[in-house]
Amino acid sequence: MMGRTIVIDPGRCIGCQACVSACRECDSHRGKSMIHLDYLDQGGSVASSPTVCMHCEDPVAPCAQVCPAEAILVTPDGVVHDADKSRCIGCGNCVNACPMGVPKIDLEAKLQFKCNLCYDRTSYGLAPMCATVCPTGSIFYGTLEELRAERPGVEVASTFDFDGSIISTGVAMVVPKGRPDQPLPGGAGEHARVTGSPQPAGHLEPSADNVLGEPL
Amino acid sequence: MRPVIVGIVTALVLCAAIFLGSRGLHNFDSALAPYAIASVFLAFGIAYRYMVWISSPGARRLFRKGWGAALSWQNLRRTPTALPRMIATYLGFQKFLGARSRSRWAAHQLIFWGCLLAAAITFPLTWGWFTFTANTGAGPQYTMNIWGFGVVKFDALSVLGWLLFHGLDLAAVLVIAGATYFLIRRMRDREASTGQRFGYDLVPLLALIIISVTGLLLTFSSVFLHGGGYEFLAVLHMAAVVLTLLYLPFGKFFHIAQRPAAVGMQLFKYTGHGEIRQCRNCGEPIDTTAYVDNLRATMRDLKLDFDSLAEVCPRCKRLRRGQAYRTTVKPGF
Ligand code: HEM
Ligand code: SF4
Ligand code: SF4
Repeated sequence: MMGRTIVIDPGRCIGCQACVSACRECDSHRGKSMIHLDYLDQGGSVASSPTVCMHCEDPVAPCAQVCPAEAILVTPDGVVHDADKSRCIGCGNCVNACPMGVPKIDLEAKLQFKCNLCYDRTSYGLAPMCATVCPTGSIFYGTLEELRAERPGVEVASTFDFDGSIISTGVAMVVPKGRPDQPLPGGAGEHARVTGSPQPAGHLEPSADNVLGEPL
Repeated sequence: MRPVIVGIVTALVLCAAIFLGSRGLHNFDSALAPYAIASVFLAFGIAYRYMVWISSPGARRLFRKGWGAALSWQNLRRTPTALPRMIATYLGFQKFLGARSRSRWAAHQLIFWGCLLAAAITFPLTWGWFTFTANTGAGPQYTMNIWGFGVVKFDALSVLGWLLFHGLDLAAVLVIAGATYFLIRRMRDREASTGQRFGYDLVPLLALIIISVTGLLLTFSSVFLHGGGYEFLAVLHMAAVVLTLLYLPFGKFFHIAQRPAAVGMQLFKYTGHGEIRQCRNCGEPIDTTAYVDNLRATMRDLKLDFDSLAEVCPRCKRLRRGQAYRTTVKPGF
Protein backbone atom coordinates (compact mmCIF):
# COMPACT_ATOMS: atom_id res chain seq x y z
CA MET A 1 0.00 0.00 0.00
CA MET A 2 1.05 3.59 -0.55
CA GLY A 3 2.17 5.97 2.21
CA ARG A 4 -0.80 8.29 2.28
CA THR A 5 -3.70 6.44 0.79
CA ILE A 6 -7.38 5.65 1.04
CA VAL A 7 -8.50 3.03 3.54
CA ILE A 8 -12.01 1.68 3.09
CA ASP A 9 -14.16 0.17 5.78
CA PRO A 10 -17.37 -1.12 4.16
CA GLY A 11 -18.70 -1.93 7.62
CA ARG A 12 -19.04 1.79 8.34
CA CYS A 13 -20.75 2.68 5.07
CA ILE A 14 -24.34 3.84 5.49
CA GLY A 15 -25.01 4.21 1.77
CA CYS A 16 -25.69 7.95 2.01
CA GLN A 17 -24.18 8.81 -1.40
CA ALA A 18 -22.23 11.78 0.00
CA CYS A 19 -19.04 10.46 -1.65
CA VAL A 20 -20.80 10.06 -4.99
CA SER A 21 -22.13 13.62 -4.86
CA ALA A 22 -18.78 15.06 -3.80
CA CYS A 23 -16.97 13.19 -6.54
CA ARG A 24 -19.44 14.45 -9.10
CA GLU A 25 -18.82 18.02 -7.97
CA CYS A 26 -15.09 17.86 -8.64
CA ASP A 27 -13.82 20.47 -11.06
CA SER A 28 -11.68 18.02 -12.97
CA HIS A 29 -14.58 15.86 -14.18
CA ARG A 30 -17.68 17.93 -13.64
CA GLY A 31 -20.95 16.03 -13.46
CA LYS A 32 -19.50 12.53 -13.47
CA SER A 33 -18.87 10.42 -10.43
CA MET A 34 -15.80 8.20 -10.47
CA ILE A 35 -16.66 6.48 -7.21
CA HIS A 36 -19.09 3.58 -7.18
CA LEU A 37 -21.51 2.96 -4.35
CA ASP A 38 -23.16 -0.44 -4.43
CA TYR A 39 -25.98 -1.81 -2.35
CA LEU A 40 -24.73 -5.33 -1.86
CA ASP A 41 -27.91 -7.15 -0.99
CA GLN A 42 -30.86 -5.11 -2.12
CA GLY A 43 -34.08 -6.21 -0.46
CA GLY A 44 -32.11 -8.32 2.01
CA SER A 45 -30.10 -5.85 4.08
CA VAL A 46 -28.88 -2.27 4.04
CA ALA A 47 -25.24 -3.27 3.43
CA SER A 48 -23.47 -0.95 1.02
CA SER A 49 -19.91 -0.49 -0.08
CA PRO A 50 -17.95 2.26 -1.86
CA THR A 51 -15.40 1.38 -4.54
CA VAL A 52 -12.56 3.63 -5.63
CA CYS A 53 -9.67 2.66 -7.88
CA MET A 54 -7.48 0.37 -5.78
CA HIS A 55 -4.30 1.54 -7.58
CA CYS A 56 -3.03 -1.99 -8.14
CA GLU A 57 0.68 -2.37 -7.40
CA ASP A 58 1.50 -6.00 -8.14
CA PRO A 59 0.71 -6.88 -10.84
CA VAL A 60 0.89 -3.18 -11.53
CA ALA A 61 -2.33 -1.66 -12.93
CA PRO A 62 -3.84 -4.44 -15.07
CA CYS A 63 -5.94 -1.72 -16.72
CA ALA A 64 -2.80 0.02 -17.97
CA GLN A 65 -1.20 -3.24 -19.07
CA VAL A 66 -4.07 -4.21 -21.36
CA CYS A 67 -4.57 -0.72 -22.78
CA PRO A 68 -3.76 -0.87 -26.51
CA ALA A 69 -3.18 2.88 -26.70
CA GLU A 70 -0.68 3.42 -23.85
CA ALA A 71 -3.27 5.77 -22.41
CA ILE A 72 -3.06 4.98 -18.69
CA LEU A 73 -0.09 6.48 -16.87
CA VAL A 74 1.18 5.17 -13.53
CA THR A 75 3.20 7.86 -11.76
CA PRO A 76 6.10 6.97 -9.44
CA ASP A 77 3.91 7.77 -6.42
CA GLY A 78 1.83 4.71 -7.33
CA VAL A 79 -1.22 6.60 -8.62
CA VAL A 80 -2.88 4.96 -11.62
CA HIS A 81 -4.22 7.85 -13.66
CA ASP A 82 -7.34 8.19 -15.73
CA ALA A 83 -6.89 7.82 -19.48
CA ASP A 84 -4.93 10.37 -21.47
CA LYS A 85 -7.53 12.22 -23.48
CA SER A 86 -5.58 12.34 -26.71
CA ARG A 87 -4.76 8.63 -26.66
CA CYS A 88 -7.71 6.71 -25.23
CA ILE A 89 -9.74 5.20 -28.06
CA GLY A 90 -12.57 4.04 -25.82
CA CYS A 91 -12.04 0.36 -26.49
CA GLY A 92 -13.12 -0.85 -23.07
CA ASN A 93 -10.15 -3.16 -22.42
CA CYS A 94 -9.44 -1.48 -19.09
CA VAL A 95 -13.11 -1.64 -18.05
CA ASN A 96 -13.29 -5.38 -18.46
CA ALA A 97 -9.76 -6.28 -17.37
CA CYS A 98 -10.00 -4.41 -14.06
CA PRO A 99 -10.77 -7.08 -11.47
CA MET A 100 -12.37 -4.51 -9.15
CA GLY A 101 -14.93 -3.10 -11.61
CA VAL A 102 -13.63 0.46 -11.52
CA PRO A 103 -13.19 2.20 -14.94
CA LYS A 104 -16.19 3.40 -16.90
CA ILE A 105 -16.44 4.44 -20.47
CA ASP A 106 -18.21 7.19 -22.39
CA LEU A 107 -18.86 5.45 -25.70
CA GLU A 108 -19.87 8.62 -27.48
CA ALA A 109 -16.81 10.61 -26.43
CA LYS A 110 -14.59 7.52 -26.84
CA LEU A 111 -13.09 8.16 -23.46
CA GLN A 112 -12.49 6.15 -20.34
CA PHE A 113 -12.84 7.74 -16.95
CA LYS A 114 -11.85 6.45 -13.58
CA CYS A 115 -10.81 7.47 -10.08
CA ASN A 116 -7.32 9.03 -10.03
CA LEU A 117 -7.19 9.44 -6.25
CA CYS A 118 -8.22 13.10 -6.80
CA TYR A 119 -4.79 13.86 -8.20
CA ASP A 120 -5.67 17.55 -8.38
CA ARG A 121 -6.07 17.50 -4.58
CA THR A 122 -3.78 14.76 -3.28
CA SER A 123 -0.77 16.06 -5.21
CA TYR A 124 -1.21 19.26 -3.16
CA GLY A 125 -1.60 17.41 0.14
CA LEU A 126 -5.41 17.62 0.35
CA ALA A 127 -7.61 14.60 0.99
CA PRO A 128 -9.74 13.27 -1.87
CA MET A 129 -13.30 14.55 -2.17
CA CYS A 130 -14.92 11.28 -1.07
CA ALA A 131 -12.79 10.93 2.07
CA THR A 132 -13.40 14.58 2.94
CA VAL A 133 -17.19 14.26 2.98
CA CYS A 134 -17.72 10.70 4.21
CA PRO A 135 -19.63 11.19 7.49
CA THR A 136 -18.79 7.81 9.02
CA GLY A 137 -15.12 7.37 8.18
CA SER A 138 -15.89 4.53 5.82
CA ILE A 139 -13.50 6.24 3.41
CA PHE A 140 -10.39 7.39 5.26
CA TYR A 141 -7.39 9.17 3.74
CA GLY A 142 -3.97 9.31 5.40
CA THR A 143 -1.12 7.11 6.54
CA LEU A 144 -1.55 3.95 8.57
CA GLU A 145 -0.21 5.83 11.63
CA GLU A 146 -2.81 8.56 11.20
CA LEU A 147 -5.52 5.93 10.92
CA ARG A 148 -4.29 4.16 14.05
CA ALA A 149 -4.18 7.47 15.96
CA GLU A 150 -7.92 7.75 15.31
CA ARG A 151 -8.78 4.06 15.62
CA PRO A 152 -6.26 2.40 17.94
CA GLY A 153 -5.18 -1.07 16.91
CA VAL A 154 -7.10 -1.12 13.65
CA GLU A 155 -5.81 -3.59 11.07
CA VAL A 156 -5.83 -3.25 7.31
CA ALA A 157 -5.18 -5.51 4.34
CA SER A 158 -4.14 -4.61 0.83
CA THR A 159 -3.96 -7.89 -1.05
CA PHE A 160 -6.80 -9.64 -2.85
CA ASP A 161 -7.26 -13.19 -3.98
CA PHE A 162 -9.03 -13.63 -7.30
CA ASP A 163 -9.45 -17.37 -7.46
CA GLY A 164 -5.73 -17.95 -6.97
CA SER A 165 -4.36 -14.74 -8.54
CA ILE A 166 -3.06 -12.44 -5.86
CA ILE A 167 -3.18 -8.67 -6.42
CA SER A 168 -1.67 -6.20 -4.00
CA THR A 169 -3.05 -2.71 -4.11
CA GLY A 170 -2.19 0.85 -3.14
CA VAL A 171 -5.56 1.35 -1.46
CA ALA A 172 -6.29 -0.72 1.66
CA MET A 173 -9.33 -2.11 3.44
CA VAL A 174 -10.05 -2.42 7.14
CA VAL A 175 -10.16 -6.00 8.43
CA PRO A 176 -11.30 -7.28 11.83
CA LYS A 177 -8.68 -7.38 14.57
CA GLY A 178 -6.86 -10.68 14.80
CA ARG A 179 -7.76 -11.74 11.27
CA PRO A 180 -4.91 -13.83 10.02
CA ASP A 181 -2.66 -12.05 7.56
CA GLN A 182 -4.22 -13.34 4.39
CA PRO A 183 -5.55 -11.82 1.17
CA LEU A 184 -9.08 -10.51 1.03
CA PRO A 185 -11.47 -12.51 -1.12
CA GLY A 186 -11.84 -10.94 -4.57
CA GLY A 187 -15.24 -12.50 -5.16
CA ALA A 188 -14.17 -14.77 -7.98
CA GLY A 189 -14.48 -18.54 -7.85
CA GLU A 190 -15.58 -20.29 -4.70
CA HIS A 191 -16.36 -17.21 -2.61
CA ALA A 192 -18.56 -15.75 -5.29
CA ARG A 193 -22.14 -15.55 -4.23
CA VAL A 194 -24.51 -14.70 -6.98
CA THR A 195 -26.53 -11.67 -6.05
CA GLY A 196 -29.90 -11.09 -7.56
CA SER A 197 -29.89 -7.32 -7.18
CA PRO A 198 -31.58 -5.69 -10.16
CA GLN A 199 -29.48 -3.26 -12.20
CA PRO A 200 -30.27 0.21 -10.85
CA ALA A 201 -30.64 1.69 -14.31
CA GLY A 202 -32.68 -1.20 -15.67
CA HIS A 203 -31.61 -4.11 -17.80
CA LEU A 204 -30.00 -3.40 -21.16
CA GLU A 205 -30.84 -5.58 -24.12
CA PRO A 206 -27.87 -7.62 -25.31
CA SER A 207 -27.81 -5.90 -28.68
CA ALA A 208 -24.79 -4.50 -30.51
CA ASP A 209 -26.16 -0.97 -30.15
CA ASN A 210 -25.66 -1.15 -26.40
CA VAL A 211 -21.96 -1.94 -26.55
CA LEU A 212 -20.85 -0.10 -29.67
CA GLY A 213 -22.01 3.38 -28.77
CA GLU A 214 -23.40 4.60 -32.05
CA PRO A 215 -24.67 2.05 -34.55
CA LEU A 216 -22.67 3.87 -37.25
CA MET B 1 16.07 -4.56 -33.20
CA ARG B 2 13.04 -4.91 -35.45
CA PRO B 3 11.78 -1.38 -34.76
CA VAL B 4 15.20 -0.01 -35.74
CA ILE B 5 15.24 -1.99 -39.00
CA VAL B 6 11.70 -0.97 -39.92
CA GLY B 7 12.61 2.62 -39.08
CA ILE B 8 15.67 2.57 -41.32
CA VAL B 9 13.77 0.95 -44.18
CA THR B 10 11.03 3.58 -43.92
CA ALA B 11 13.59 6.38 -43.94
CA LEU B 12 15.32 4.88 -46.99
CA VAL B 13 12.01 4.56 -48.84
CA LEU B 14 11.36 8.24 -48.20
CA CYS B 15 14.88 9.11 -49.44
CA ALA B 16 14.21 7.18 -52.63
CA ALA B 17 10.86 8.92 -53.07
CA ILE B 18 12.51 12.31 -52.60
CA PHE B 19 15.18 11.42 -55.14
CA LEU B 20 12.71 10.22 -57.76
CA GLY B 21 10.06 12.88 -57.12
CA SER B 22 12.59 15.69 -57.47
CA ARG B 23 13.86 14.24 -60.77
CA GLY B 24 17.16 13.09 -59.36
CA LEU B 25 17.43 16.14 -57.06
CA HIS B 26 17.19 18.41 -60.10
CA ASN B 27 14.19 20.19 -58.54
CA PHE B 28 15.49 19.90 -54.99
CA ASP B 29 15.82 23.26 -53.26
CA SER B 30 18.98 23.09 -51.19
CA ALA B 31 17.86 26.03 -49.06
CA LEU B 32 15.15 23.71 -47.73
CA ALA B 33 17.50 20.77 -47.13
CA PRO B 34 17.33 20.92 -43.29
CA TYR B 35 13.55 20.46 -43.51
CA ALA B 36 13.91 17.52 -45.87
CA ILE B 37 16.55 15.89 -43.66
CA ALA B 38 14.33 16.39 -40.60
CA SER B 39 11.47 14.69 -42.46
CA VAL B 40 13.69 11.66 -43.08
CA PHE B 41 14.42 11.46 -39.35
CA LEU B 42 10.70 11.89 -38.74
CA ALA B 43 9.96 8.90 -40.97
CA PHE B 44 12.47 6.86 -39.00
CA GLY B 45 11.05 8.05 -35.67
CA ILE B 46 7.43 7.31 -36.51
CA ALA B 47 8.13 3.85 -37.89
CA TYR B 48 10.40 3.02 -34.94
CA ARG B 49 7.95 4.28 -32.35
CA TYR B 50 5.04 2.58 -34.08
CA MET B 51 6.81 -0.78 -34.02
CA VAL B 52 7.65 -0.39 -30.33
CA TRP B 53 4.05 0.51 -29.63
CA ILE B 54 2.50 -2.46 -31.40
CA SER B 55 4.88 -4.88 -29.75
CA SER B 56 2.89 -4.75 -26.49
CA PRO B 57 0.26 -7.51 -26.30
CA GLY B 58 -2.79 -5.24 -26.15
CA ALA B 59 -1.76 -3.13 -29.13
CA ARG B 60 -0.45 -6.07 -31.16
CA ARG B 61 -3.67 -8.02 -30.90
CA LEU B 62 -5.80 -4.99 -31.70
CA PHE B 63 -3.53 -4.11 -34.62
CA ARG B 64 -4.10 -7.55 -36.15
CA LYS B 65 -7.83 -7.59 -35.50
CA GLY B 66 -8.28 -4.03 -36.68
CA TRP B 67 -6.45 -4.52 -39.97
CA GLY B 68 -8.11 -7.90 -40.37
CA ALA B 69 -11.52 -6.22 -40.13
CA ALA B 70 -10.49 -3.33 -42.38
CA LEU B 71 -9.08 -5.53 -45.14
CA SER B 72 -11.61 -8.34 -45.02
CA TRP B 73 -13.41 -8.99 -48.32
CA GLN B 74 -16.46 -10.16 -46.46
CA ASN B 75 -16.77 -6.91 -44.53
CA LEU B 76 -16.16 -4.87 -47.64
CA ARG B 77 -18.98 -6.64 -49.43
CA ARG B 78 -21.38 -6.49 -46.51
CA THR B 79 -20.76 -2.90 -45.45
CA PRO B 80 -18.77 -1.19 -48.19
CA THR B 81 -19.25 2.30 -46.73
CA ALA B 82 -18.29 1.53 -43.13
CA LEU B 83 -14.56 2.10 -43.48
CA PRO B 84 -14.58 5.31 -45.54
CA ARG B 85 -17.35 6.71 -43.36
CA MET B 86 -15.46 6.00 -40.17
CA ILE B 87 -12.29 7.49 -41.59
CA ALA B 88 -14.20 10.67 -42.35
CA THR B 89 -16.11 10.97 -39.07
CA TYR B 90 -13.40 9.69 -36.67
CA LEU B 91 -10.20 10.85 -38.26
CA GLY B 92 -11.25 13.81 -40.38
CA PHE B 93 -14.05 15.47 -38.46
CA GLN B 94 -13.38 13.90 -35.04
CA LYS B 95 -17.08 13.84 -34.32
CA PHE B 96 -16.54 12.13 -30.96
CA LEU B 97 -14.72 15.22 -29.67
CA GLY B 98 -18.01 17.09 -29.87
CA ALA B 99 -19.31 14.79 -27.15
CA ARG B 100 -16.52 16.05 -24.86
CA SER B 101 -17.21 19.70 -25.56
CA ARG B 102 -18.07 21.69 -28.62
CA SER B 103 -15.27 24.19 -28.17
CA ARG B 104 -12.65 21.46 -27.77
CA TRP B 105 -13.94 19.95 -31.01
CA ALA B 106 -13.74 23.29 -32.79
CA ALA B 107 -10.25 24.08 -31.49
CA HIS B 108 -8.97 20.66 -32.47
CA GLN B 109 -10.47 20.98 -35.93
CA LEU B 110 -8.61 24.26 -36.38
CA ILE B 111 -5.31 22.65 -35.39
CA PHE B 112 -5.99 19.54 -37.45
CA TRP B 113 -6.95 21.24 -40.72
CA GLY B 114 -4.30 23.91 -40.24
CA CYS B 115 -1.54 21.32 -39.78
CA LEU B 116 -2.88 19.18 -42.62
CA LEU B 117 -2.90 22.16 -44.97
CA ALA B 118 0.59 23.20 -43.90
CA ALA B 119 1.94 19.67 -44.28
CA ALA B 120 0.33 19.24 -47.69
CA ILE B 121 2.11 22.37 -48.92
CA THR B 122 5.46 22.18 -47.18
CA PHE B 123 6.45 18.53 -47.35
CA PRO B 124 6.20 18.29 -51.15
CA LEU B 125 8.01 21.62 -51.47
CA THR B 126 10.91 20.59 -49.28
CA TRP B 127 11.14 17.26 -51.08
CA GLY B 128 11.33 19.04 -54.45
CA TRP B 129 8.06 17.48 -55.56
CA PHE B 130 6.31 20.78 -56.24
CA THR B 131 7.94 23.46 -58.33
CA PHE B 132 6.66 26.65 -59.90
CA THR B 133 7.77 27.93 -63.27
CA ALA B 134 6.97 31.32 -64.73
CA ASN B 135 5.34 31.08 -68.15
CA THR B 136 6.32 34.54 -69.28
CA GLY B 137 9.49 36.10 -67.97
CA ALA B 138 8.40 37.59 -64.66
CA GLY B 139 4.80 36.32 -64.36
CA PRO B 140 2.06 36.75 -63.33
CA GLN B 141 1.34 33.51 -65.25
CA TYR B 142 2.77 30.48 -63.46
CA THR B 143 2.63 26.72 -63.88
CA MET B 144 2.65 24.46 -60.86
CA ASN B 145 4.54 21.20 -61.45
CA ILE B 146 4.23 18.02 -59.47
CA TRP B 147 7.13 15.58 -59.87
CA GLY B 148 8.22 17.74 -62.78
CA PHE B 149 4.92 17.45 -64.70
CA GLY B 150 2.99 20.67 -65.30
CA VAL B 151 -0.33 20.31 -63.48
CA VAL B 152 -2.04 23.69 -63.16
CA LYS B 153 -1.51 27.00 -64.85
CA PHE B 154 -2.61 29.95 -62.80
CA ASP B 155 -2.45 33.66 -62.44
CA ALA B 156 -0.58 34.78 -59.34
CA LEU B 157 -3.16 37.51 -58.84
CA SER B 158 -6.17 35.19 -58.93
CA VAL B 159 -7.85 33.60 -55.93
CA LEU B 160 -6.15 30.27 -56.62
CA GLY B 161 -2.83 32.04 -56.91
CA TRP B 162 -3.39 33.85 -53.63
CA LEU B 163 -4.30 30.58 -51.90
CA LEU B 164 -1.27 28.79 -53.30
CA PHE B 165 1.09 31.46 -52.09
CA HIS B 166 -0.67 32.26 -48.82
CA GLY B 167 -1.90 28.81 -47.84
CA LEU B 168 0.72 28.66 -45.13
CA ASP B 169 -0.40 31.96 -43.64
CA LEU B 170 -3.95 30.69 -43.53
CA ALA B 171 -2.76 27.46 -41.89
CA ALA B 172 -0.82 29.46 -39.30
CA VAL B 173 -3.89 31.50 -38.38
CA LEU B 174 -5.99 28.34 -37.91
CA VAL B 175 -3.31 26.66 -35.79
CA ILE B 176 -2.68 29.72 -33.62
CA ALA B 177 -6.39 30.03 -32.86
CA GLY B 178 -6.78 26.35 -31.93
CA ALA B 179 -3.55 26.04 -29.97
CA THR B 180 -4.19 29.25 -28.04
CA TYR B 181 -7.59 27.95 -26.99
CA PHE B 182 -6.02 24.72 -25.70
CA LEU B 183 -3.25 26.64 -23.96
CA ILE B 184 -5.72 28.85 -22.12
CA ARG B 185 -7.75 25.79 -21.22
CA ARG B 186 -4.64 24.17 -19.78
CA MET B 187 -4.08 27.19 -17.55
CA ARG B 188 -7.66 27.67 -16.43
CA ASP B 189 -9.52 24.37 -16.53
CA ARG B 190 -8.80 21.74 -13.92
CA GLU B 191 -10.08 19.05 -16.22
CA ALA B 192 -7.07 19.73 -18.44
CA SER B 193 -4.51 20.86 -15.89
CA THR B 194 -4.83 17.96 -13.44
CA GLY B 195 -1.62 15.97 -13.68
CA GLN B 196 -0.45 17.84 -16.76
CA ARG B 197 3.25 17.67 -17.57
CA PHE B 198 5.24 20.41 -19.24
CA GLY B 199 7.04 18.25 -21.79
CA TYR B 200 4.03 16.17 -22.68
CA ASP B 201 1.14 18.62 -22.54
CA LEU B 202 2.50 22.14 -22.93
CA VAL B 203 5.45 21.72 -25.29
CA PRO B 204 3.27 20.55 -28.22
CA LEU B 205 1.03 23.62 -27.94
CA LEU B 206 3.97 25.99 -27.53
CA ALA B 207 5.72 24.37 -30.51
CA LEU B 208 2.66 24.85 -32.73
CA ILE B 209 2.34 28.47 -31.69
CA ILE B 210 6.05 29.24 -32.15
CA ILE B 211 6.11 27.64 -35.61
CA SER B 212 2.99 29.49 -36.72
CA VAL B 213 4.00 32.88 -35.32
CA THR B 214 7.51 32.79 -36.82
CA GLY B 215 5.99 31.62 -40.11
CA LEU B 216 3.57 34.55 -40.16
CA LEU B 217 6.40 36.93 -39.27
CA LEU B 218 8.29 35.73 -42.35
CA THR B 219 5.39 36.87 -44.52
CA PHE B 220 5.13 40.08 -42.52
CA SER B 221 8.83 40.74 -43.05
CA SER B 222 8.72 40.23 -46.80
CA VAL B 223 5.49 42.15 -47.36
CA PHE B 224 5.94 45.08 -44.99
CA LEU B 225 9.61 45.26 -44.04
CA HIS B 226 11.15 44.58 -47.44
CA GLY B 227 12.71 41.46 -45.97
CA GLY B 228 14.00 43.10 -42.79
CA GLY B 229 14.99 40.44 -40.26
CA TYR B 230 14.07 37.73 -42.74
CA GLU B 231 17.25 35.71 -42.36
CA PHE B 232 17.04 35.64 -38.59
CA LEU B 233 13.36 34.70 -38.66
CA ALA B 234 14.01 32.01 -41.24
CA VAL B 235 16.58 30.37 -38.99
CA LEU B 236 14.28 30.62 -35.98
CA HIS B 237 11.38 29.14 -37.92
CA MET B 238 13.50 26.34 -39.29
CA ALA B 239 14.87 25.46 -35.87
CA ALA B 240 11.35 25.33 -34.43
CA VAL B 241 10.06 23.11 -37.22
CA VAL B 242 13.03 20.74 -37.20
CA LEU B 243 12.89 20.27 -33.42
CA THR B 244 9.14 19.69 -33.55
CA LEU B 245 9.45 17.08 -36.29
CA LEU B 246 12.10 15.25 -34.29
CA TYR B 247 9.93 15.40 -31.14
CA LEU B 248 6.75 14.35 -32.94
CA PRO B 249 7.05 10.54 -32.54
CA PHE B 250 7.90 10.70 -28.85
CA GLY B 251 5.32 12.95 -27.26
CA LYS B 252 1.68 13.85 -27.47
CA PHE B 253 1.85 14.32 -31.24
CA PHE B 254 2.25 10.58 -31.62
CA HIS B 255 -1.52 10.34 -31.19
CA ILE B 256 -1.70 11.33 -34.87
CA ALA B 257 -0.20 7.91 -35.68
CA GLN B 258 -2.06 6.10 -32.90
CA ARG B 259 -5.60 7.38 -33.36
CA PRO B 260 -6.39 5.35 -36.49
CA ALA B 261 -6.41 2.38 -34.11
CA ALA B 262 -9.81 3.70 -33.00
CA VAL B 263 -11.16 2.96 -36.48
CA GLY B 264 -9.68 -0.55 -36.43
CA MET B 265 -11.10 -1.16 -32.97
CA GLN B 266 -14.57 0.04 -33.86
CA LEU B 267 -14.59 -1.84 -37.15
CA PHE B 268 -13.52 -5.00 -35.35
CA LYS B 269 -16.40 -4.63 -32.88
CA TYR B 270 -18.84 -3.53 -35.54
CA THR B 271 -18.20 -6.52 -37.77
CA GLY B 272 -18.46 -9.02 -34.91
CA HIS B 273 -21.66 -10.46 -36.41
CA GLY B 274 -23.71 -8.80 -33.69
CA GLU B 275 -22.76 -11.48 -31.17
CA ILE B 276 -22.72 -10.07 -27.66
CA ARG B 277 -21.11 -11.50 -24.53
CA GLN B 278 -23.35 -11.08 -21.51
CA CYS B 279 -22.36 -10.92 -17.86
CA ARG B 280 -22.23 -14.41 -16.41
CA ASN B 281 -23.88 -13.17 -13.29
CA CYS B 282 -26.64 -10.79 -14.33
CA GLY B 283 -26.87 -10.98 -18.12
CA GLU B 284 -26.00 -7.33 -18.79
CA PRO B 285 -24.25 -6.97 -22.16
CA ILE B 286 -20.47 -6.56 -21.75
CA ASP B 287 -19.11 -6.23 -25.27
CA THR B 288 -18.99 -8.16 -28.52
CA THR B 289 -18.00 -11.81 -28.08
CA ALA B 290 -14.99 -11.52 -30.37
CA TYR B 291 -13.80 -8.48 -28.44
CA VAL B 292 -14.06 -10.12 -25.02
CA ASP B 293 -12.22 -13.18 -26.33
CA ASN B 294 -9.51 -10.92 -27.71
CA LEU B 295 -9.20 -9.19 -24.34
CA ARG B 296 -8.98 -12.50 -22.50
CA ALA B 297 -6.17 -13.59 -24.82
CA THR B 298 -4.39 -10.27 -24.17
CA MET B 299 -4.70 -10.81 -20.43
CA ARG B 300 -3.26 -14.31 -20.70
CA ASP B 301 -0.34 -12.94 -22.75
CA LEU B 302 0.32 -10.60 -19.84
CA LYS B 303 0.01 -13.37 -17.25
CA LEU B 304 -3.04 -11.69 -15.77
CA ASP B 305 -4.64 -15.05 -15.14
CA PHE B 306 -7.89 -13.75 -13.72
CA ASP B 307 -9.05 -13.29 -17.32
CA SER B 308 -12.29 -15.22 -16.78
CA LEU B 309 -13.45 -12.21 -14.73
CA ALA B 310 -13.69 -10.30 -18.00
CA GLU B 311 -16.99 -12.12 -18.46
CA VAL B 312 -18.48 -10.57 -15.36
CA CYS B 313 -19.77 -7.01 -15.64
CA PRO B 314 -18.06 -4.30 -13.54
CA ARG B 315 -20.99 -3.94 -11.18
CA CYS B 316 -21.21 -7.66 -10.50
CA LYS B 317 -17.46 -7.73 -9.83
CA ARG B 318 -17.99 -5.11 -7.16
CA LEU B 319 -21.07 -6.81 -5.75
CA ARG B 320 -19.37 -10.18 -5.55
CA ARG B 321 -16.28 -8.75 -3.89
CA GLY B 322 -18.48 -6.86 -1.43
CA GLN B 323 -20.51 -9.98 -0.69
CA ALA B 324 -17.36 -12.03 -0.17
CA TYR B 325 -16.14 -9.40 2.32
CA ARG B 326 -19.49 -9.50 4.06
CA THR B 327 -19.60 -13.27 4.32
CA THR B 328 -16.00 -14.17 5.07
CA VAL B 329 -14.15 -11.10 6.39
CA LYS B 330 -16.58 -9.17 8.52
CA PRO B 331 -19.67 -11.36 8.64
CA GLY B 332 -22.98 -9.61 8.34
CA PHE B 333 -21.89 -6.00 8.81
C1 HEM C 1 -2.31 17.10 -37.87
C2 HEM C 1 -2.75 16.37 -37.03
C3 HEM C 1 -2.99 16.64 -35.57
C4 HEM C 1 -2.42 17.56 -34.71
C5 HEM C 1 -1.36 18.55 -35.01
C6 HEM C 1 -3.05 17.38 -33.42
C7 HEM C 1 -2.73 18.14 -32.30
C8 HEM C 1 -3.31 17.97 -31.06
C9 HEM C 1 -2.94 18.69 -29.88
C10 HEM C 1 -1.87 19.74 -29.79
C11 HEM C 1 -3.72 18.24 -28.86
C12 HEM C 1 -3.64 18.67 -27.41
C13 HEM C 1 -4.72 19.56 -26.95
C14 HEM C 1 -4.60 19.82 -25.47
O1 HEM C 1 -3.65 20.51 -25.06
O2 HEM C 1 -5.41 19.33 -24.70
C15 HEM C 1 -4.59 17.23 -29.39
C16 HEM C 1 -5.55 16.57 -28.69
C17 HEM C 1 -6.33 15.55 -29.21
N1 HEM C 1 -6.28 15.05 -30.49
FE1 HEM C 1 -5.12 15.70 -32.01
N2 HEM C 1 -3.97 16.37 -33.51
C18 HEM C 1 -3.96 15.90 -34.80
C19 HEM C 1 -4.71 14.89 -35.33
C20 HEM C 1 -5.65 14.16 -34.62
C21 HEM C 1 -6.47 13.11 -35.16
C22 HEM C 1 -6.47 12.62 -36.60
C23 HEM C 1 -7.23 12.66 -34.12
C24 HEM C 1 -8.27 11.58 -34.12
C25 HEM C 1 -9.15 11.20 -34.65
C26 HEM C 1 -6.90 13.42 -32.94
C27 HEM C 1 -7.47 13.27 -31.71
C28 HEM C 1 -7.20 14.02 -30.58
C29 HEM C 1 -7.88 13.89 -29.33
C30 HEM C 1 -8.98 12.88 -29.01
C31 HEM C 1 -7.35 14.85 -28.46
C32 HEM C 1 -7.78 15.12 -27.02
C33 HEM C 1 -8.68 16.33 -27.06
C34 HEM C 1 -9.46 16.57 -25.79
O3 HEM C 1 -10.09 15.65 -25.26
O4 HEM C 1 -9.49 17.71 -25.35
N3 HEM C 1 -5.92 14.32 -33.27
N4 HEM C 1 -4.32 17.09 -30.75
S1 SF4 D 1 -8.40 -1.19 -9.47
FE1 SF4 D 1 -8.81 -1.42 -11.67
S2 SF4 D 1 -8.65 0.67 -12.47
FE2 SF4 D 1 -7.62 0.67 -10.47
S3 SF4 D 1 -5.45 0.20 -10.93
FE3 SF4 D 1 -6.46 -1.74 -10.50
S4 SF4 D 1 -7.05 -2.48 -12.53
FE4 SF4 D 1 -6.63 -0.30 -12.76
S1 SF4 E 1 -10.73 2.44 -23.03
FE1 SF4 E 1 -9.04 3.88 -23.33
S2 SF4 E 1 -7.82 3.72 -21.45
FE2 SF4 E 1 -9.17 1.93 -21.50
S3 SF4 E 1 -7.95 0.34 -22.47
FE3 SF4 E 1 -9.12 1.31 -24.13
S4 SF4 E 1 -7.79 2.92 -24.92
FE4 SF4 E 1 -6.93 2.29 -22.94
